[in-house]
Amino acid sequence: MSNYKEIFVKTDKCTGCLTCKIACAVEHSETKSLFSAIRESPRPVSRVYVEWLPGNAKVPVLCRHCEEAPCLNACISGAISRSDTNAVITDAGKCIGCWTCVMVCPYGVIGRDQTLAKAFRCDRCPDREIPACVGACPTQALVYETVDGFSKTKRKTVSRELLTREGA
Amino acid sequence: METRYLIVGGSAAGMAAAHTIRKKDKTGAITVLSDEDTLPYFRPMVPYILTGKKQVPDIALSGTGIFVQPRIDVRTGTIVTSVDPVAKILTTASGKTWSYDKVLFATGSRPYLPETVKGLDSPGVFSLKTVADAAAMAQRSRNTDHVVLLGGGILNLKAAFALLEKKIKVTLVVHSPEVLSQLMDPEDAFLIRKALDRAGLKIMTGCSADHVVTDADGVCAVALDNGTQIPCRMVCVGKGVIPNTECVRGSAITVDKGILADPFTACSVKDTFAAGDVAVTHDPATGEKTVTALWTNAVDMGICAGLNMAGIPTRYTGTLGIMNATQVAKEPFVAMGRVHTKGRDLETHIDKTDTTYRKIVFNKEGTRLVGALFIGDITHAGMYRYVIREKKPIDRIKSHLIRHTLHYGHFM
Ligand SMILES: Cc1cc2nc3c(=O)[nH]c(=O)nc-3n(C[C@H](O)[C@H](O)[C@H](O)COP(=O)(O)OP(=O)(O)OC[C@H]3O[C@@H](n4cnc5c(N)ncnc54)[C@H](O)[C@@H]3O)c2cc1C
Repeated sequence: MSNYKEIFVKTDKCTGCLTCKIACAVEHSETKSLFSAIRESPRPVSRVYVEWLPGNAKVPVLCRHCEEAPCLNACISGAISRSDTNAVITDAGKCIGCWTCVMVCPYGVIGRDQTLAKAFRCDRCPDREIPACVGACPTQALVYETVDGFSKTKRKTVSRELLTREGA
Repeated sequence: METRYLIVGGSAAGMAAAHTIRKKDKTGAITVLSDEDTLPYFRPMVPYILTGKKQVPDIALSGTGIFVQPRIDVRTGTIVTSVDPVAKILTTASGKTWSYDKVLFATGSRPYLPETVKGLDSPGVFSLKTVADAAAMAQRSRNTDHVVLLGGGILNLKAAFALLEKKIKVTLVVHSPEVLSQLMDPEDAFLIRKALDRAGLKIMTGCSADHVVTDADGVCAVALDNGTQIPCRMVCVGKGVIPNTECVRGSAITVDKGILADPFTACSVKDTFAAGDVAVTHDPATGEKTVTALWTNAVDMGICAGLNMAGIPTRYTGTLGIMNATQVAKEPFVAMGRVHTKGRDLETHIDKTDTTYRKIVFNKEGTRLVGALFIGDITHAGMYRYVIREKKPIDRIKSHLIRHTLHYGHFM
């Protein structure tokens, strides 16, 4: 188990305000400022998604950087690797837009830039101390913590539920 | 004593196994014998060698993704000709012998060349499988303005686009009523067909090659079974693949189309294993024995074999025979599980727009998702794969599956 920080989701605290999505899109824009980012073309997009459930519950979803990452095994171009801070990252230079990663991700959190034919996902904002979405979240529904620092039961419900090792 | 691991074949399955073994066994000797002259590379990237967009070092496995472990000794240009699984010895074409404690056969597959088509051994006839094939095709294509491709499968489509990029005219000769017949029904393919036509591919369906016509420079035309001839200086055959089992033939290892592997990736003789395109495994969607030809499956099975070889018993859950994602002519598509529904007793839901096509397939009782096909928009395809593979109960999510409103929250 790694000692690196991960982004955890506290679904009970999310109000669905979508501030995280805006912060993420701005962080991954050319200009990194809200006012100019909205005028960029292509329009910057978020790598965080907020889904709605019946009963008005909101669920922010983003790349889990899985321990046994199906996308990492499946990539046919060598574009996906594990960074030294334990994030699973897609190298846009090597990505050929074959979408194999999209096909194997059970969370549905790998996005597609159809124009450039590149896959993209949460990169935990390598240039920032705290990922943009976490920094922006007004209700602390998103937290940036080590596994030990975060309650293990919570972590299970929000992040690990789907994963069984492929082929195992 | 350190364990001596030998791996025959240095591609997806062989190298995934090698790196997995090294993760678990820091001291054993891991040797990979490969008959290719190139160090292991991402085979699906071979079309980029043909176009010249990438060079061989750009597509090397080593140092990327899961292929980052140290001390794996890869011997290129080494052809294994036979095995004695009782004495635990491999013999190579040069006559050298290799002793081992555990061996993995990851010899993959090679293009199938139909015997009924005469002249496929002529200069100018190729199949796109290795970087050497790509280099030879690139060489020949310099003196070629028209290539005829036999077969309308995904590999030939990739080869066709690589050649189109080189400004060479391509004609596909397709026996089936439509391209990609292995991955969808003919009716499903119209968006892709439209995109292919738009991109400038010439496609002739419902006919086959009878023989290849040659002159002093090799192929000069393809004669079709409808009596016509298409002049061309180059032919590319993409009619499926067959497992490379030659090196275990005559030994006690059981071969049935491919090398038979049990649920723990082991062959019929102790301490021998098989993984990847060469292995016969089972499809969880149908329960039937199957051989596949997919990079992703080969890696997964290689990882599993590596764990078993390193002494960690690990069950291989099998593989969906159809599990393809790709993009042809700017049209993304994903085909998974059972996608051929015409005339079958399955509950099928089709939804089409001008730019997208979606087919969702349930078993005939409608109680389980067994297949999905997405063209144009493949958003959340992975969730469908997850539901198919894990045979998830669908009563609560069925309408979301059909309307394409499924998201991760529904699994919580
Ligand atoms: C052009 C192209 C594009 C593809 N695109 C995709 C894609 O997009 N997605 C996907 O999932 N799959 C794709 N595939 C299929 C995928 O590449 C294969 O399924 C995968 O490579 C199988 O891996 P493997 O390790 O089982 O065998 P192989 O890759 O076939 O490798 C086996 C190796 O063993 C060597 N060998 C065989 N016999 C011997 C012997 N006796 N001694 C020594 N060495 C031996 C072979 O030369 C070869 O190097 C593509 C294939 C091609 C050719």
